[in-house]
Amino acid sequence: MNTKANIIIIEDEKNICNFIETVLSPQGYQVTSAYTGTDGLKLIESLKPDVVLLDLGLPDMDGLELIQEVRSTSTLPIIVISARTLERSKVAALDLGADDYLTKPFGTAELLARIRTALRHSQRATGTQSLKYEVGNLLIDFERRLVKVKGQDVHLTQIEYKLVSLLAQNAGRVMTYESIISKIWGPFADSDNQILRVNMAHIRRKLEENPAEPQYIFTEIGVGYRMREE
Amino acid sequence: MPTGEYVMKSFHINKTDLKAAAINLVRNLPITIEYMAAATLISTIFFHFSNNVTNISIIYTLAIIMIARATSCYGAGILASLFGVFWVNFAFTYPYLTLNFTMSGYPITFLGMALISSLSSSICIMITKQNVQLQEKDRMLLNAEKETMRANLMRAMSHDLRTPLTSIIGSSSTYLSQEEYMSPEEKRKLVRNIEEDAQWLLNMVENLLSVTRIQDEKGVASVAKADESLEEVISDSVRRFRKRFPDVQVRVSIPDSVIIIPMDATLIEQVINNLLENALFHSGTNEPIDLVAAAEKSALSVSIKDYGKGIAPDLLDTIFDGGGTSENHTGDGHKGVGIGLSICKTIINAHEGEIHAGNHPRGAQFTFTLPDWREY
Repeated sequence: MNTKANIIIIEDEKNICNFIETVLSPQGYQVTSAYTGTDGLKLIESLKPDVVLLDLGLPDMDGLELIQEVRSTSTLPIIVISARTLERSKVAALDLGADDYLTKPFGTAELLARIRTALRHSQRATGTQSLKYEVGNLLIDFERRLVKVKGQDVHLTQIEYKLVSLLAQNAGRVMTYESIISKIWGPFADSDNQILRVNMAHIRRKLEENPAEPQYIFTEIGVGYRMREE
Repeated sequence: MPTGEYVMKSFHINKTDLKAAAINLVRNLPITIEYMAAATLISTIFFHFSNNVTNISIIYTLAIIMIARATSCYGAGILASLFGVFWVNFAFTYPYLTLNFTMSGYPITFLGMALISSLSSSICIMITKQNVQLQEKDRMLLNAEKETMRANLMRAMSHDLRTPLTSIIGSSSTYLSQEEYMSPEEKRKLVRNIEEDAQWLLNMVENLLSVTRIQDEKGVASVAKADESLEEVISDSVRRFRKRFPDVQVRVSIPDSVIIIPMDATLIEQVINNLLENALFHSGTNEPIDLVAAAEKSALSVSIKDYGKGIAPDLLDTIFDGGGTSENHTGDGHKGVGIGLSICKTIINAHEGEIHAGNHPRGAQFTFTLPDWREY
């Protein structure tokens, strides 16, 4: 890459902006901070960033509003950074179109990983879909609809395969229960996630060595599932 | 006798009291009439078989006492007594169906009955009122106890918060003022201290936050439960724990079947985290920690076992009470066990489960249970 990725931080706490800038600049990212939502929106308009890091509690507007506003015109990746520990606000942000979220406080390694994931997915969205998922001992061949663990074929039911491939295509990102259910069972499916849980449990038993210590598909309690990316 | 005072007091009533008493009387009139009617019915049947007036008086006295108990109203008791005396005279003493107070010795019977019934009714009412007062007192005591508990928690907390804050402030200001004179290792050590203590503070804050998720409904703690998959909750808590302590080994074993169980997953994760952290900091060893879940008939149990020095027997009884750092018993200097465990207990109780601490032959073991699990 010869052009540096452009990142905008929208966060009212200057100390946190400072810390994030200090982490990102040496990694070759170009970082700009905005302390209010209105400034943030202006910066997004003028700089056309590659990723936005957004705090939900802004002084002049609710971060959720900002997500809606940005989503009405663009698909640029938004990573929500929020001190709100309630699952509901995370899910709300994701369902409104945020790509990922980080709960304060977070580590620098985690922040960098999430930014990389977001960048990769936004590039992929404009290019071609990936044909293969290969992490650890797990291989998914999307063209031939094959799933292998340690080279051995794994037999998955139709629904199970759909679930695994949906998560694998979005590896590294958290998928909310709601979005998974509507993508697999259709938009009018019962939002009760019992059936999803049971299916995931079966998948875990087929793919993971110890379902209690999964290596590939992680649960984010109250939010959804995230598949390992690398 | 306090009874006398009570009766006397009831004669010194001011106007508003009188009005309230009148309203109270009218409200209790239906019950009074019912009891008197029942007494009259029984007396009539009784009278049919034997002419014993004494027994009939007793029936009426009994009815009056019951009225006093049921209504807690002086007026109703007095009214019932008067009715009883007159009605016994009118209907059940010769000459029947006339009022006659001139019979030899009758005035004494009359007076006695009137006095007994009004006295007993006032005693009844007094007891009822005292009961109400006692209940009130109990409630106040309970509230006071809760307040004391809260104050204790606050005190323990501010102590526990101050310790890491002191170290954070000390380390960072040392770094800022002495930067030029320190070797890289020394700097690193200071920053690592800051990080460790900040992490510990964070966990403390999460603990406190988790308390706010527990509602208090009339003194009974409760949580918003949702069906959760056991393996997901356990694996997520272990994953978070490993992220914080990558070098610590945790061996997880859960039942093969898919188990769904109603709970507030965030809170249960907090319990598992606190227990794992305790096993790490207080066992005094680096041996792996075991986390074992088992579905038993009545409840699901989750045990966290370490292979360290175990829990001192004299601590076992009070380990969940939040005493914490009052005496640094183990001398390992790590910030209190107290609050974490007392929060575990609060959370598990609010789930209608149980939590126990104990020692197994090679270390300490904490077990909590959750009810209503289902298998898929």
